[in-house]
Amino acid sequence: MIERLLPFLSLIVLFVALAVASPHFLTQTNLSSVVRQTAVINIMSLGMTVIIIAGGIDLSVGAILAMSGVLGTMAMEHGLSVPAGIVIGVLTGLLWGAANGMLTTRLRIAPFIVTLGTLGIIRGLTLIITNGLPVHRVPQAFSFLGEGNLLGVPFVLWVLVVCALWTHVVLEHTRLGRYAFAIGSNPDAAVYAGVPVGFDTTAIYALGGMLTGLAGMIEASRLMTGQPSAGNGYELQAIAAVVIGGGSLHGGEGSVVGTLIGAFIMGLLSNGSDLLGISPYLQQAIIGAVIILAVTVDELRKRKSRVGA
Amino acid sequence: MLLELSGIQKRFGGVTALRDGNLAVDAGEVHLLLGENGAGKSTLMKIVAGIEQRDAGRMTWRGVEAAFGSPAEAAAAGIAMVHQESLLAPHLSVAENIFLGREERLPFGWVRRRRMIESAARLIAEHHFPLRADWRVDRLSPAGKQLVEICRAIQHGSSLLIFDEPTSSLSGAETDEVFRIVRTLRARGMGVIYITHRLEELRAVGDRVTILRDGATVHTGPLAEITTDAIIRHMVGREMVAGYRRQALPPGRELLRVEGLSRTGALRGIGFCLRAGEIVGLAGLIGAGRTETCRAIFGVDPIDGGRLFVDGRQTRIRSPREAVAAGIALVTEDRQKTGLALPLPIAYNITIANLPEISRFGLLNAIAQIRVTAEYMTRLRIRAASGRQPAGRLSGGNQQKVVIAKWLFRRARVFLFDEPTRGIDVGAKVEVFELMDELARSGAALLMVSSEMQELLQVADRILVMRQGCISGELPGDTTQEAIMRLAAMEREVAP
Repeated sequence: MIERLLPFLSLIVLFVALAVASPHFLTQTNLSSVVRQTAVINIMSLGMTVIIIAGGIDLSVGAILAMSGVLGTMAMEHGLSVPAGIVIGVLTGLLWGAANGMLTTRLRIAPFIVTLGTLGIIRGLTLIITNGLPVHRVPQAFSFLGEGNLLGVPFVLWVLVVCALWTHVVLEHTRLGRYAFAIGSNPDAAVYAGVPVGFDTTAIYALGGMLTGLAGMIEASRLMTGQPSAGNGYELQAIAAVVIGGGSLHGGEGSVVGTLIGAFIMGLLSNGSDLLGISPYLQQAIIGAVIILAVTVDELRKRKSRVGA
Repeated sequence: MLLELSGIQKRFGGVTALRDGNLAVDAGEVHLLLGENGAGKSTLMKIVAGIEQRDAGRMTWRGVEAAFGSPAEAAAAGIAMVHQESLLAPHLSVAENIFLGREERLPFGWVRRRRMIESAARLIAEHHFPLRADWRVDRLSPAGKQLVEICRAIQHGSSLLIFDEPTSSLSGAETDEVFRIVRTLRARGMGVIYITHRLEELRAVGDRVTILRDGATVHTGPLAEITTDAIIRHMVGREMVAGYRRQALPPGRELLRVEGLSRTGALRGIGFCLRAGEIVGLAGLIGAGRTETCRAIFGVDPIDGGRLFVDGRQTRIRSPREAVAAGIALVTEDRQKTGLALPLPIAYNITIANLPEISRFGLLNAIAQIRVTAEYMTRLRIRAASGRQPAGRLSGGNQQKVVIAKWLFRRARVFLFDEPTRGIDVGAKVEVFELMDELARSGAALLMVSSEMQELLQVADRILVMRQGCISGELPGDTTQEAIMRLAAMEREVAP
């Protein structure tokens, strides 16, 4: 049981350690900025959690995030309202996710390859659409999504909480979620049981893409621009968050709570390093080491429980 | 009749799997389906279960012509299959596996997990299965997993249940449990089709029997009217030595001695010796520590105590690499997973453990590799088009021979065989026995783990019996199954 709680405990330890080490850590400004910084990765990771549980992977999320941000802000530039622009960004993500899902299930190509391909396609298209230039002219009201406060708390925190609850309910209490576990756990068994594997897999990628689209709009709102180069390398951070939180790349394992903890651990590590003046170069190395450490601990726990069974 | 198949044909590319499959199963009967590997049993059952579609022939289900396009369609019609390789989702609970694909249709795709566990628990209790609805499936034994598949079938109201070699991975007690369940299902009026390789267990459970050979039904009739010898004749199409018995040799030098081998939680004070020319059987129930003994000797699992003497010299073995260097070979239970590189050529598989011998200055000599491969393929009578053929395309018996060839070429002298005949058909079994005999005659020492006591009695010079991680006794090669059982299960009460 202790081992199960280990990721959560390390998050607490990290939090307390940072509170002690830096007087600036426990300030409202700093904590808000941690939340705002991690919200984007967090929301992306929620979708990635479902995809990884179903035995898949999506390397194109960083590119999807950029295209969603760009198309959403362009819509606002052309006179659409802020909510309409956000909806366009989210839909962009959903459609690309569905495309990823259909390509893997119809062509029967490994999702790693499919999404490596779409990563290039989406990023390239985004650069073509924008000519490589950021989209600047966005309405002032758009900044509320990423920078605003509601009831004294960053608005993105509310968004994150809603998304996390929703993903958790889908995963644990709906057929789609339970089928995600079944598909990732043993795809043949799922087929033989009459699970609509092709459709559900597509739906799972679409769900992931949708959350990524939303994350793209938050990122765009924080920068107040639609950046065609946004989200570079975010796919690896999202995967890392899922894996630190106990997800298995072999499928069948993972949870929303675990992923949130994973994303916050990475967020705190990078915030803490900033506060303590640790070089950003070293930060990357630290986060890399933490990923390996977390997975090792989790693997040991699983091995132990297997022997005990 | 519940199910009737006549003149079923099925081709895969250029290979004919079924020429003339005929089978009729009634409600309330246990129908045995027998045949060698490749005879077409599995294909026939896959057609019934909607996994494959027939090319020609008639299938009627409850008197109506039927064709199932998918497993789900067959399941909806009331046909369920308990697969040899468990088709369950290991990360989900027993209850979720029972209901997988059959959840209640609620708004928003909602799933009531607690309700699901309660219904599963009721079902399990009703049948007195040793299961719990909230257990995760990856914690269950192979027998437990089969129970879950049986629960699925019952829950879905199936009227025909197909068992594909249900007992191949079960111990004696578990096998009895499966038989008990099969009989209960029959009593409730279900039709049961039961595929098996184990001839000795037929009589415990079957009513009628259908035998397939080379894709065609060659015999069908009541089990009571056919002798086991006749069954074997139909299966292999030639007189086969069911009474194979190896002639023991005078044992030579001691090649392996094990003293006080222990591993916490698995083995306690294992001691025995193997001499050149000897085949020693290792019997016991599942979980008695037979595989663990092989793994410990071979350096796969670390040991907590004990000494090993190879060829009279004390040797420390901490890894399979050191075991191989000492001349020990392990022929694992699961060839496909740990014995062979299935997609790679036979030549690769035979030479991989001893590449230095066919290399010069660190470069592989392809001509030497071909020569060595051809030599071993002839010597072991490996039936394949050429050494370039992928090992995965061979039959179970020929795959086993490739594994043995690999160790022969590595000049191994102590062979640990873990269930060497698992999944191998009757004809090829004798060939594997003869091969083991030849190994012994050429001066090797063999340890043979087998769950089929009949096999041990046919092949072994003496038999060690394990129980709960200890060796509980040693018996001569001409002992009886009862004597082995007594040592293997000494403390347990024999179930009625």
